[in-house]
Amino acid sequence: MRIQVRRTGGFAGIERHAQVDTSGRPDAHEWHALAGQAVAAGLTTRPAGVPDGFGYEITVDGKTVYCADPRLTEEQRKLISRVLKEGA
Amino acid sequence: MTTHGGHEPVFCTIIPPHVLDKAAQSDDPVLAGPARRTLERDAFERTHRRLTTVLGAPAVALPESAAEGKALRTIYDAEHGQNLPGTLVRSEGSDPGPDATVNRAYAGLGATFDLYLKVYGRNSINGEGLPLDATVHYDEDYNNAFWNGEQMVFGDGDGEIFLDFTLPVDVIGHELTHGVTQYTANLTYFGQPGALNESMSDVFGSLIKQYSLGQTAAEADWLIGAGLLAPRVTGVALRSMKAPGTAYDDDVLGKDPQPATMDGYVRTGRDNGGVHLNSGIPNHAFYLAATALGGHAWEKAGQIWYDVLTGGELGAQAQFTDFATLTVAAARARYGDGGDELQAVLKAWEQVGVRTL
Repeated sequence: MRIQVRRTGGFAGIERHAQVDTSGRPDAHEWHALAGQAVAAGLTTRPAGVPDGFGYEITVDGKTVYCADPRLTEEQRKLISRVLKEGA
Repeated sequence: MTTHGGHEPVFCTIIPPHVLDKAAQSDDPVLAGPARRTLERDAFERTHRRLTTVLGAPAVALPESAAEGKALRTIYDAEHGQNLPGTLVRSEGSDPGPDATVNRAYAGLGATFDLYLKVYGRNSINGEGLPLDATVHYDEDYNNAFWNGEQMVFGDGDGEIFLDFTLPVDVIGHELTHGVTQYTANLTYFGQPGALNESMSDVFGSLIKQYSLGQTAAEADWLIGAGLLAPRVTGVALRSMKAPGTAYDDDVLGKDPQPATMDGYVRTGRDNGGVHLNSGIPNHAFYLAATALGGHAWEKAGQIWYDVLTGGELGAQAQFTDFATLTVAAARARYGDGGDELQAVLKAWEQVGVRTL
């Protein structure tokens, strides 16, 4: 499973992008569960968000959903921070 | 468990919504009742916040100090979590505490309140003494600050790329000005009106810094977020109104992507349609007008921009041309047909390639 996160906007307006390929990872099932929950709670169009709030695109195996600060589910927040931290 | 609609913020945010959905459908009333109330509360908060940002904030009861034109500041600490507003750590009139971030936020809110009151006669962000609330230490390593429709929120930065977002006073002024815009023109936060919304926050954020330092247009650095980048980052700030596109050029961050003129206008769906990119164009127009006029930028150029933002004619969907045209009218109305002000404004928009009608 390929999990991609793109963060746009924010005060700085600087985009960040990272992805994690879970194949062969010992914690793959944990990633799959987290990604499934994050995508299920995502929106199909970009939400308007709040001024200077981050906007996010989460793409899992080709399917993209959207969410924005400060209205993320716990799973979305966890997935986004893990992918941006651990991903390449 | 209470049923009078009291806030249950901890329960609201720690339990994932899907768990609540499941619990709310439970046959066990002990599980289902609180879960249903939390979901209702959460839905209410979301809808309320959304309506606040879309429709503008509702009227609020005036605090006693409002009529006196005094700031009513409250600083909260999220303690590295995401619950807003968090724990109250400093309120109006209390002495500085041991946390420099809290004290900076408090001082920055005061500097912002001062500029709006003393220069433009505006009593707080809604003109009616609205209390100013800010939360610091939001989340962990959080590289951002934002306005959620009701209050300011500041992260500490990760220390690698960004430092504490309360460090530059213009960042504090920027966030509060989003509040002023919300209560006045309420520019839609997307595309050109969104870039104008961003530009208003940069313009008045910079003016708050200039006013607090007593600088003239020639002395000011015209930077947004100077001192916010960590030492290892190659750059001076996040944005430059004097020379958009030159604030940073770094291996990790990339290069400052802001255009200074319409030739470089960026079309994109990301960043709410490039609101932090194309704001470089009206930002630069303000810089050009202010430096052409000289002296304190908040006195003439700032007054013209403020007249347009708060004058009632600027629509929520305004394009650059609409805004520019209104600044020309405002310069004429306040300073006359034959004034340097009118010429400075006309020339500034011409230089950045925005048509005035």
